[in-house]
Amino acid sequence: MIARALRRGLTAAVLLLAPVGPSAAAPAAKPAAARPAAAARGSDPRPRSGARPRGAARLAFDHDGPPIVLVGAELRSDGRRITDAVIELRGTRIAAVGGPELAARAPADARRIDLRGAIVTPGLVALETAMGAVEIDAEGSTRDDTRATPDPIRAAFDASSAVHEHSTLLQVAAIDGITSAAITPQGGLVSGSIAWLDLAGAPGQRVARGGVGMRAHLGQAVEGSRAATLQRIAELFDDVRFYRDHRGAFDRNQSRDLAAHRLDLEALVPVVAGTMPLVLSAHGEADLRAAITLAQAGARVVVVGGTQAWRMADALARARIPVLLQPSSNLPGALDHLGARLDNAALLAAAGVEVGIAVMGDAHNARNLTQEAGIAVSYGLDPDRALSAITAVPARALGMDAHYGAVAPGKVANLVVWRADPFELSSKPEAVWIRGESIPLVSRQTQLRDRYLQRLRDTPKARR
Amino acid sequence: MCAAIVLGGAVALALTACRKTPTVATTSPPAAREPNRDRAAAAPATPQAPSFALRGARVMTATGIVYDRADVLVTGDRIVAVGPALELPEGTTVIDVAGRTVTPGIIDTHSHIGVYGAPGFGAHADGNEMTSPNTAHVRAADAYWPQDPQIDRARAGGITTMQILPGSANLFGGRAVTVKTYPGARGIDEARMDGAPAGLKMACGENPKRTYGDKGGPATRMGNVAGYRGAFIKAVEYQRSWDRYHEKMAQRRKAAAAGGTPRKGDDDRKGDGKPDDPPDPPARDLGLETLAGVLRGEILVHNHCYRADEMLGMLALAKEFGFTIRSFHHAVEAYKIAPELAAAGTAASVWADWWGFKAESFDGVRENAAMLSAAGGRPIIHSDSGIGIQRLNQEASKAMWAGRRAGLDIPDDEALRWITTNPAWALGIEQTVGTLEPGKQADLVVWDGDPFSVYTKAQQVYIEGALVFDRSRAQPAVGTDFELGWDIADAVRGGGR
Repeated sequence: MIARALRRGLTAAVLLLAPVGPSAAAPAAKPAAARPAAAARGSDPRPRSGARPRGAARLAFDHDGPPIVLVGAELRSDGRRITDAVIELRGTRIAAVGGPELAARAPADARRIDLRGAIVTPGLVALETAMGAVEIDAEGSTRDDTRATPDPIRAAFDASSAVHEHSTLLQVAAIDGITSAAITPQGGLVSGSIAWLDLAGAPGQRVARGGVGMRAHLGQAVEGSRAATLQRIAELFDDVRFYRDHRGAFDRNQSRDLAAHRLDLEALVPVVAGTMPLVLSAHGEADLRAAITLAQAGARVVVVGGTQAWRMADALARARIPVLLQPSSNLPGALDHLGARLDNAALLAAAGVEVGIAVMGDAHNARNLTQEAGIAVSYGLDPDRALSAITAVPARALGMDAHYGAVAPGKVANLVVWRADPFELSSKPEAVWIRGESIPLVSRQTQLRDRYLQRLRDTPKARR
Repeated sequence: MCAAIVLGGAVALALTACRKTPTVATTSPPAAREPNRDRAAAAPATPQAPSFALRGARVMTATGIVYDRADVLVTGDRIVAVGPALELPEGTTVIDVAGRTVTPGIIDTHSHIGVYGAPGFGAHADGNEMTSPNTAHVRAADAYWPQDPQIDRARAGGITTMQILPGSANLFGGRAVTVKTYPGARGIDEARMDGAPAGLKMACGENPKRTYGDKGGPATRMGNVAGYRGAFIKAVEYQRSWDRYHEKMAQRRKAAAAGGTPRKGDDDRKGDGKPDDPPDPPARDLGLETLAGVLRGEILVHNHCYRADEMLGMLALAKEFGFTIRSFHHAVEAYKIAPELAAAGTAASVWADWWGFKAESFDGVRENAAMLSAAGGRPIIHSDSGIGIQRLNQEASKAMWAGRRAGLDIPDDEALRWITTNPAWALGIEQTVGTLEPGKQADLVVWDGDPFSVYTKAQQVYIEGALVFDRSRAQPAVGTDFELGWDIADAVRGGGR
């Protein structure tokens, strides 16, 4: 993962990791590192400009801490399973991962937690969510997930700038194993940039990074036509390049008219350069073809929705476009949703497409990510790939895989302890670790429940 | 009369579940007060009807009994026996379902399938008559589109019966209709469940006031409640006028039977004893007819209501006018008043975990259904969703496990009742469907595992003894007319990629 980040030109990625203890000083070199087989598949040979997305420096919450060693669990992470695993945490990071042989090498002062019989997975990542930016969907005063202007180009809208860290949604999701969320702006043609949030952590520092992707929409997003949408995007991208190359002229008011405001153009520069993922809704074949064309022109495209993606799985695989989808979405709700199938994820994965799974448009129930993964498995997706679809793939798709998505040395210590199959409806996390801390498994909902359970116990049972 | 239709090719499914007799619409003028009509139409199957037995499955009856291994014997459209190692009549077709689980057909009390069709064209938006806060005069049955592709998907999820409701924009949204998910229905009378009473959709809270706040009101919850009360006051008057009419007619019949001529004054009121002309019936009012049907207990009230305080208020309002609310719907805060709901005999149709999409749903908890069960109430897991309806078993499972983790004793059979017996009761069809018992309609689901597992799917679905879905033979499931013709391009790719 680190090596991949270096290839990408993010030479500073390792430097972002403040010291996390000697055992993690050179994580890539550790033989015990659980290097996922999928990493090679996900690597991207295209040259990168070296420009890092805005907000990159935010990932500075690392600190030293007493070592904690989780021993005995079965570790399931990004396609690999290690039985009787040893996971060493230092501060907010994972310091080492390996088999039982690693236990002997653990620091003498380490706090040891016995997890025999348990399953450990990476923390789950909620994609396509507004949690932290929305409290109550129907109450505009609680919503900060959109720039409500008639102008459909809102690229400068930065979801990281107004996150509500005390939102009740965060803890409701966290106690079901969601440790990070990609807060995604809504609306317009270009909605704005996505923020990567950890669901716990020091106050004021829970946003790990802003600008991890630019959310935009194909389909009938503007002017009543799919073709009009594509025309606007083509014009916009052309103007972003013009703006990038003529900033001086623009500032001197010697530029031709451009298709967007200055801040929006500026925000799109890394998208056009292919350094910031372009996260595009696309469902129908025509739009998916357009997404492939954008990728071929250098954009780092991630497709969201992909209802008809199974029809063109090979082309998407060749273009190395990850597809983020919701497995249960099988209704022909619009013409570009005809042909929706429950085995979309399995068909795409079989063709070599990286499949991510999300609960779309329901920030309050991101916790149903595991159910969605289970549904995908019941329709043919390999269980380890389904787990990657809610952990490693989201991290890779948004360029955060140097830090997230796997239980591996150097990664942020976001992990979940389960007693049984994480996807099964009977399962619930036994412990959730976010940034190296085991969070309290309490939410506003458990508090409401407990208040009224007590009242119920005090009331005699009524006759039916 | 309807012959078995056998489709060839990939969809080799015998679709025999068509309607035999048209259903009589429930639009006759209100009858005089009388007890509810007998809905227990469990006629014994004719002896010559074909029999089949599902043999050797785990059988969850939703009556409190779960058999590890048992048989279900079906003759014609009815279940005739359930139990281990049944002795089968000669000629019974035996279907080996060892290792599978059989449950009653799943019943959803809350769907808008057919009135909000897919695709979600504007032309398909037939679920909310948003022209007045009181549209008790409209009927979902009149808008039901039996070609909605969502019906096929619901059936593939084990749904055999669903109540189709008008939306929740209005205080009185109109009449709901209970349908079976028969394939190939061409109109409501080929989909409607025989003998099922009509429902009345009412709505509390945010939706009516949001819809009418700047269209003449109601603009507040005060206005909402005043709207219900005003309407029921009129309905009481309306019923009285019909009662007077029926009384008068009865007297005329009585006098005629005695050989006399009806005369003014026969009813002991003032009269001059001259021959009396037949009375004119009161003018019919479709909306008041619906509300009067509620007052007589013939139409069941299904009340969209989220907050505990509003539900308590509605229970008091129902008491004021002498009717009962059969089920609250959504009832996100039902857990706060679980003992009161149990005592009132009002069911609560809830989601497993929806919350937070509006202020009145902010206090949702996953233990809602389980806490109602623990209080002796009648929880129901409903969908209100073309996606959720495909997995009501999974939704029930989430709610069941949440309850168990909170220390509540929720047996599998109890959670199964949340999607079978209890919804059947809420729809007034509990004598006909909702359990695996002799005499009930043979609405059955054969699951390929524990119905509470995320990996389990309905393999076969039967309605009234007819196989209406078979996963092994129905993929891809193209059933409704709308879905024909869209994939022809796949077959004519000319060999290219």
